[in-house]
Amino acid sequence: MFAIVAASSCSKKSDSAFSESPDQRLNETLSADQATLVKAPYGWRGLIYPKGLTGGVVGFYFKFNDSNRVEMFSDFDSASAVTPMTASYRLKALQQPSLVFDTYSYVHVLADPNGSVNGGSYGSGLSSDFEFAIDSIGGDTVHLTGRFNGTKAVLIKATQQEANSYYSKQFSNRLFLNISKYLTYFKRLVVGGHQYEVLVDQVGRTITFTWVDDSGNVHKATVGYYFTTNGVAFSPAFTDGSIIISGFSNITWNAGTTTLSFTINGNAAGIVGSGTPIQPDLDAPHRWWQFAVDKGLWWISEKGFHVNGVDDAYGITKTTSFFYLMYRPKYSTYNGCTYDVAGPIQLLPDNSLNQDYALAYRTPNFTTDGRLTFPYLGQLGNIPASDSVAMAKTRIQFSDSYGYYLVQTSDISYDMVSARDGKAWVTWIWPF
Amino acid sequence: MVPISLANGWKEIYRAGGFDDFMPADSRMPGWLIPLMEKLKRLKYFLVKNIRSLIFLFCVGCLASCKKDSVGNVDNIVGLGGDTWAKTPIDQWIYDSLTVPFNIAVKYKWDQFEFDLNKTLVPPKEDKIIPVLSAVKKVWINTYVAEAGDVFMKKYCPKFFAVAGSASWNTDGTITLGTAEGGRKVVLYVLNDFRTKSMADYMPSDSFNIKQMFHTIEHEFGHILHQTVMYPVDFKTITVGFYTSNWNNVSDATAHRDGFVSAYAMSAPDEDFVEMIGIMLTEGRAGFDAIVNSVPSGTSDNGTTQAQAVSKLRQKESIVVSYFKNTWGIDFYSLQSRVRAQVVSLIQ
Repeated sequence: MFAIVAASSCSKKSDSAFSESPDQRLNETLSADQATLVKAPYGWRGLIYPKGLTGGVVGFYFKFNDSNRVEMFSDFDSASAVTPMTASYRLKALQQPSLVFDTYSYVHVLADPNGSVNGGSYGSGLSSDFEFAIDSIGGDTVHLTGRFNGTKAVLIKATQQEANSYYSKQFSNRLFLNISKYLTYFKRLVVGGHQYEVLVDQVGRTITFTWVDDSGNVHKATVGYYFTTNGVAFSPAFTDGSIIISGFSNITWNAGTTTLSFTINGNAAGIVGSGTPIQPDLDAPHRWWQFAVDKGLWWISEKGFHVNGVDDAYGITKTTSFFYLMYRPKYSTYNGCTYDVAGPIQLLPDNSLNQDYALAYRTPNFTTDGRLTFPYLGQLGNIPASDSVAMAKTRIQFSDSYGYYLVQTSDISYDMVSARDGKAWVTWIWPF
Repeated sequence: MVPISLANGWKEIYRAGGFDDFMPADSRMPGWLIPLMEKLKRLKYFLVKNIRSLIFLFCVGCLASCKKDSVGNVDNIVGLGGDTWAKTPIDQWIYDSLTVPFNIAVKYKWDQFEFDLNKTLVPPKEDKIIPVLSAVKKVWINTYVAEAGDVFMKKYCPKFFAVAGSASWNTDGTITLGTAEGGRKVVLYVLNDFRTKSMADYMPSDSFNIKQMFHTIEHEFGHILHQTVMYPVDFKTITVGFYTSNWNNVSDATAHRDGFVSAYAMSAPDEDFVEMIGIMLTEGRAGFDAIVNSVPSGTSDNGTTQAQAVSKLRQKESIVVSYFKNTWGIDFYSLQSRVRAQVVSLIQ
């Protein structure tokens, strides 16, 4: 047996499944991938879907050369959309063949852990990537997956016209962002005979469509948007049955009437303001209120009321030592009446939080049509003269007899929108 | 080799007293077979007795028989010898200014393996690399060379710098500005915020970042020095009992009142020692005196009086100065004025 095993282990036969060594094949793959990237005559359009932007997408343009340099544009902001930036890139074997942007570029802006760079959180930014494993490369498309956060990205071979439009600064067109100038919170996309409520998240780079179908069912869909030379494109395209909207083209902005007009699939369309939601979330007001009751804590707003296009219209953030505006349900009782309080919280120099004064409201009325109203009860504490105007305006706003709609924007945030005309709203965040 | 071993094992078989397997010859077995059976039996006992050495020999035989004429094409392993790329003026500058004179390599192209693998970081901006490294050379290398000679610097300087564009954010909310490993490698963060007064977008607040960066380098180089020759143990007794892992919840001003030059100095005696070096060098003698004089009257929360805090800081200062003189033959105050002058030239 010894002799047999020893003899069989002497076999010199090579049974490799490939004709070349792994190193040879890896080197060939890397150089072939690099050649593919470099040889696209007009570069590549890129879309990066940062992990931290759920559904959001950022548009790019890349032109790779064969000496590890890449020139790029990014529609992340208005400057990077028209200012070319050159940085370094490499094809590298990191378990898989990978495309690495290895010095700082527009790609890294999304991943920068300094939240002030990209609006993300400190320590992780938008959880994007700049080391990408090449999932597939071929034809006109390259599919990439980030190695650190798993960010998806795709490169699409650009046409000569597309390349020229970047270098001739046509991507300075960001008219779509005028959407934030609408006075009303609710906005409706009107196309053909259909209406869709649109909620644009400029930080998250998404548009959420809400609509009611013929049977009265409410639908919601969120798509990412990125800029084109004459509007925005969606990724993925928005679909409602047979209606497919892949973007808004030929956008124009009429500042006089506060209207965005554009075409969809060649048909004229536009976005109009609306004082009411297309379908109120009937249970939202009570859900919002009960959430804080159950936790025994409170909602906060860092910016106060946005009214008629003005952030913090009542100057609540300018009150003494302002830290945030809070709304706390079931704060206490007065003459047998349970009441809620609303008012600014002060941050004192020793880092402690303080509430000098507040507005007291009876338990809100929840209407059957999805609103709530705040019945004013009285004032707690003494409001200093310097803060009295802001507090008076805030009190009147809260007490508006039309009340408010509540729009849940995430698990821990609601927008509270005036039901009078939809032109006043406040964003409540759960800070705990 | 088998027959020789068999002969050696002959006596062993009987000493082992192995009669259990005695095979009687019977009528069914032809007579000529009996000697052969005897030999097989001896072989069996030999195998049982020498099983360990035989397995070893078997393995050696297998390995030897596995030897191939060629191990294949090994001259083209991916990444062997480090990454390669088309050289740029930055690479040339690093080679001429740091690698040739001081044998220092700088890795500025992204490689996550040089950093903590779980940290979100980004590589530096290319237009920051030469300004940062030339400032490092002026403030840190040239000043030590002027005081201690270039042999000292060539011998003790860390030989490898890895740089990142962003800060390294810790889970407790602090950020790490730099680290050093084993006297060889220094990691510098936050290059992207580096702006000197000669840059167009310089703001006075940027001086903080510059001082932080050189503070970090001097701090880490201080570790290399004391890891090579330890500082006098007296240093550890000056503020014994005040070292705490809770340093990040202490402000610098509060730390001063207990006789520490910074909050981070409260984390451990080694950190205390190199924080003294880092701050004394980057702030200059006047700056350090200002820190000492800023200790307010009264008693700290930990019961240190103003006079005690001042005295502790001065004791630490004198140990640092004498350590540099006695251990490295460096006039600390002269080095201090050189470093400070270079820092000032970048920020004022």
